[in-house]
Amino acid sequence: MDKYRNFNHQTHAAPSAGSTGAVRIENLSKQYRMGGKALNVLQDIDLSIRPGEFVSIVGPSGCGKSTLLRLIVGLDSDFTGDIRLDGKRITGTSLERGLVFQDHRLFPWMTVARNVEVALLNQKLPRERRESLITSHLELVGLAGFADAYPHQLSGGMAQRAAIARALVNEPKVLALDEPLGALDALTRVKVQAELQRIWMEAGTTMIMVTHDVDEALFLGDRVVVMSPRPGRIAQIVDVDLPHPRDRASPVLHRLKDAILAELTAEPGKGDAGLVQFPVRPRS
Amino acid sequence: MSRRFTSVLIGGVLPALLALLWEFAARRGGAASYAFTPIGQIADSFVTMLQNGMLLGDLWASLRRTLLALLIGGGSGLLLGTALGIFRPLSIGVSPLINIFRQVPILGWLPLIALWLGNGDGARLLLVSLAAFYPTVLNTQKGFDAADRKLIEAGMLYQFSRWQRVRFIALPSALPLIFTGISQALSFAWIATIGVELLFSASAGLGTEMVNAQVSARTDIIMICILCVGVMGFLLNHGLMLTRNHLLRWHRSALGEG
Amino acid sequence: MRIFSKRRGKGIDDDAAWMRLIPILCLLTLAGLWQMAVTMRLFPVQVLVPPSVVAQTFASLWASGDLQRHLSFSLSRLFLGFGFGSAAGLALGAAMGLWQPVRRIFQPTFDAVRYVPVITFIPLLILFFDVEELFKVVVVSLATFFPVAIATFDGVRAIPRGYFEVSALYRLPLHDLILRVVFPATVPPVLTGMRLGLTRAWLSLVAAELLAADSGLGQMMEMGRQMFRIDVVMVGVILAGTIGFLLDRGMQFAEARLLGWRHA
Repeated sequence: MDKYRNFNHQTHAAPSAGSTGAVRIENLSKQYRMGGKALNVLQDIDLSIRPGEFVSIVGPSGCGKSTLLRLIVGLDSDFTGDIRLDGKRITGTSLERGLVFQDHRLFPWMTVARNVEVALLNQKLPRERRESLITSHLELVGLAGFADAYPHQLSGGMAQRAAIARALVNEPKVLALDEPLGALDALTRVKVQAELQRIWMEAGTTMIMVTHDVDEALFLGDRVVVMSPRPGRIAQIVDVDLPHPRDRASPVLHRLKDAILAELTAEPGKGDAGLVQFPVRPRS
Repeated sequence: MSRRFTSVLIGGVLPALLALLWEFAARRGGAASYAFTPIGQIADSFVTMLQNGMLLGDLWASLRRTLLALLIGGGSGLLLGTALGIFRPLSIGVSPLINIFRQVPILGWLPLIALWLGNGDGARLLLVSLAAFYPTVLNTQKGFDAADRKLIEAGMLYQFSRWQRVRFIALPSALPLIFTGISQALSFAWIATIGVELLFSASAGLGTEMVNAQVSARTDIIMICILCVGVMGFLLNHGLMLTRNHLLRWHRSALGEG
Repeated sequence: MRIFSKRRGKGIDDDAAWMRLIPILCLLTLAGLWQMAVTMRLFPVQVLVPPSVVAQTFASLWASGDLQRHLSFSLSRLFLGFGFGSAAGLALGAAMGLWQPVRRIFQPTFDAVRYVPVITFIPLLILFFDVEELFKVVVVSLATFFPVAIATFDGVRAIPRGYFEVSALYRLPLHDLILRVVFPATVPPVLTGMRLGLTRAWLSLVAAELLAADSGLGQMMEMGRQMFRIDVVMVGVILAGTIGFLLDRGMQFAEARLLGWRHA
């Protein structure tokens, strides 16, 4: 079942066989200050991610999962604790850590190819190498024929794939994805999930994906991190011990999904505070 | 097809009526008739003016002034607007000044400028350039201000330097508003050109022509000039719009969506 | 947003209070530099009259009553013309927006004429009306008419169809329709149009007075120019700007008051 194409990628390796892209998060906490009060957005996050692993993060709104990604990628530097990539503490953003946003954030005035190209601006590469990287990554995401298209000409799924190509062209050690498929309709989402799995299998990059969709998290992830809100904490980590590519119909996935949903929807005590209680209507 | 024809017919009712009234007033004679020249004479004068080069000469003089002023005023507006958009401390001090000066009706500057620079072409050009300057500088600055934070963040991921952020994100992002500024500047410059020519009618130009015609009660010439001013204004604007739509074909508004 | 600063979450309060002072500070700084430039003889006195002299001229003009006279002429023309122009613009704009036949008759001519700047008509108007009060009022009316008509037209067209259907259902008489449905729905865009009209009106009035008048602020400036009195011209310029500013602010204030129900 060797589906790995011969792909010209520096860190190309079968998942979990590479040696770079290990992320270690220790004691991570973050607070927001709002009008004098301190809000714990994240509290004591501990997570170890193996090189080449695909980790999904699910959780309800307000559990800080997007914030966690932004901290890992360096768009936010205000936290206490430790985030290390391959043993080194991270500082700010870096070409080694990429991010795919929920809104593709392609530059509308550039073609797809140019969008991918500008990601390479700050890597001093010779022209041929640049061109081959762009071409190979567009092929990787299945947009080979759309190099000269403008973002407004692309469908949502295609634009997101272009964003993935742009994020991968620097061959980062880690790719973070913040609800990458959230803006797509249900049918497109399913298709792009399969694409994403294929892309990950071929590229071998460590990927950390935040999503609302438990099915998606289980389909794509080697492990699923379930977070709970207020304050943002890791509630549990579920191992998905199934080979890739995944079979959606697998009963293991269904069982795990039930378990995760149970964890997500069961809120001790004050969880019902937000619900409206209707008085029970007597049967007439 | 007949639908269109009736539209044209109905639309033509008012102009036809006005033309009839005009012709009637012209033929009636009497005290006020000097103001109404018969339509036939207007047409004749038009041909005459075209033939002896007067019309085109005036048109070109006005147009040249407008375009030159657009270059000077619009150009400086672009430069200053860019600087203000990129460096916030600068804009805090300078923008209020620009807004203060902008309150003065543009032609109101003319007596002052005339006292400083005399009655020549320099004074005229300065005034029209000023008219082009304001919309350019304000819209350019707004354009840079409007750079999407989200795209800047994306740039941060790729280690964009300050210059790269300007060149690849802020500047293209500002282009739609910059074009708005230039198109307003063109309109204002054209209007200001006619204005200074009316007020300072020394050299050639459509405005000059109109003032001379008014003095000699040549309504026919005035009407022709009015027509030229309107048509030219429309063409300038239309041409700019076409350019904008081509250069900004990636932008939603250029594509007629939203 | 700023491209280079990494300022985060500074309270909006700080900005607002501080910010309002800045234009005044700028003015003061400018006046100060101006005074310095003259005192240091960077420019001959004829070219750059110091602010002190301008202030004196202002005071003497006021004392002699001249200034009031000019201002009253200008402002009365402005408000008269603005009144006529707005009324006409409202009427035509609403009529064109509400009734298709009216639109089909008037719109082509309207569109043809609206792009001609108002000052272009000044020579023609001088021939028709001579250089009297009527001429200036007509200029101001014209300048006001077009923006108001366009804004009213757009505003009426933007009224949701549903409102008209409900009115028809209840058989609302015309005056009720206008007063209770059309009017409230179109107040916002119409007010914006009127503000633009007022600005254009002031601009055109100053131009008309510069060109052909025997009284008014514009004429005062032109006379100042002819007599090489820079101080008089400066007084005119400052006043023209101040009035323009106040007119615009006044309209904005009126808009805010009348539209208080609108915004979140």
